[in-house]
Amino acid sequence: MSKLVIAAVSRTFPGGRGHAPTVALEPTTLTVTDNDFISILGPSGCGKSTLLRIIAGLDAPTSGRVVLDGAPVSTPGADRGMVFQSYTLFPWLTVRQNICFGLREKGVPQTHQNEIAARYIERVGLRGFENHYPKMLSGGMQQRTAIARALANEPKILLLDEPFGALDNQTRGLMQELLLGIWEAEKKTVLFVTHDIDEAIFVAGRVAVMTARPGRIKSEMTVDLPHPRHYTIKTAPAFSALKARLTEEIRVEALRASMTAS
Amino acid sequence: MRTMTPLKPISSTRKAFYGVAFFVLFVAAWAVATFGGFVSPTFLADPLTMLREGYLLFAKYGFAKDVALTIWRVLGGFVLAAAVAVPLGIAMGSYKPIEAFFEPFVSFARYLPASAFIPLLILWAGIGELQKLLVIFIGSFFQIVLMVAVTVGGTRRDLVEAAYTLGADARGIVRRVLLPNSAPAIAETLRLVLGWAWTYVIVAELIGASSGIGHMITDSQALLNTGQIIFGIIVIGMIGLVSDFAFKWANQRLFFWSLA
Repeated sequence: MSKLVIAAVSRTFPGGRGHAPTVALEPTTLTVTDNDFISILGPSGCGKSTLLRIIAGLDAPTSGRVVLDGAPVSTPGADRGMVFQSYTLFPWLTVRQNICFGLREKGVPQTHQNEIAARYIERVGLRGFENHYPKMLSGGMQQRTAIARALANEPKILLLDEPFGALDNQTRGLMQELLLGIWEAEKKTVLFVTHDIDEAIFVAGRVAVMTARPGRIKSEMTVDLPHPRHYTIKTAPAFSALKARLTEEIRVEALRASMTAS
Repeated sequence: MRTMTPLKPISSTRKAFYGVAFFVLFVAAWAVATFGGFVSPTFLADPLTMLREGYLLFAKYGFAKDVALTIWRVLGGFVLAAAVAVPLGIAMGSYKPIEAFFEPFVSFARYLPASAFIPLLILWAGIGELQKLLVIFIGSFFQIVLMVAVTVGGTRRDLVEAAYTLGADARGIVRRVLLPNSAPAIAETLRLVLGWAWTYVIVAELIGASSGIGHMITDSQALLNTGQIIFGIIVIGMIGLVSDFAFKWANQRLFFWSLA
């Protein structure tokens, strides 16, 4: 059963006065099926975030369309949860209230909201921090809350836009394990945008590599590593082989990007 | 004195000491100028005379009633202005067509000095309470509208986008993101504008009033009683300080999440 179809989606930003329009995304096609965990890997500025924003409905494609379960996507909605690279918790709400934001918007009764929130707080390891405000939390804890907030809404697909990009290396590793653990336990459908090769391989079942701007998906690679994955797999020969292949593909694009960057 | 380091914080006791020290020096300079005979008493009363005159104002001339009236006018005009201006500012900040409709006029009206309206307002509303309230209303209204609109319009886009992906509709965005996000800055705007409202009320009372602190000051001028004038000015400053503290205290309580 096919869940999300990205059909020849492109995006061109109109140029300012005297500037040529910027082609951020060339017609891109990708099919995401149930329980897929797909990493979208590409050099910075390749349009991978643009693609994700179009799927979320925060941006409109210049051509092509995004179809979720047969219905075309045009506006943002609770069926596509998103976690951003920037910290987007609502600073005036506690961790629990943040997680309940979407549930309250749906009109879920308060007691039920709290039950769901408690489950996800447990899931992302934030017990004891329910009543903390975002200012009191570290970056990693804020992103954990953001993941819980997106999951609590029970979206059909989870979109992650470099969610760990601003975290330090150690925290980053722990967050990857956390996310993978959630996916292994709950079998969500996930699209994960990153420019980090290790990260892309470790969490995903499939890696889609994008070209430098103007971006499009140039190749797809299946990550045939067993689940549940332990962090030690990052040093396994099979992992290294995948990494070597992807490094080569990405390097070409990074080089192209550095040559064309104005 | 040790050298100062830019932006380095100081202890709260030192902070209080420096703050008080300025007042002490200020009064000392004033005392030297007046008691030392450097300035004629006709133009500047000495601190003790000022205090005596202040006591007399309250004890014999019913100054408390003037103070109460002035406070009432400021609060009345200010609350009226805020009650209309804050919702309008929020609507303008949230919805661009509404902003496009009102913004040019409000920006224009903001530069019209409230005091210049006093003669016109006397003509329209007489010299009663309504005229005082209107002066403060005109002086505060446009400032509040514009500052609130800018605050609401400046809400972080990623917070709005996050709310959209969580299923919020337009109403949810305004009520559950734009409003709570802007609340601390709106409260800060109100605190600022309340300070300005105080200058408007005194100006309104200097011209065409038969009561209030401003009226007392004009009366004292006719009698060359500089002690009373200075006392009146200090009372205004004190009330301003108290209301400012109250506002700051309330803001810190209400919006602790926006602080570190």
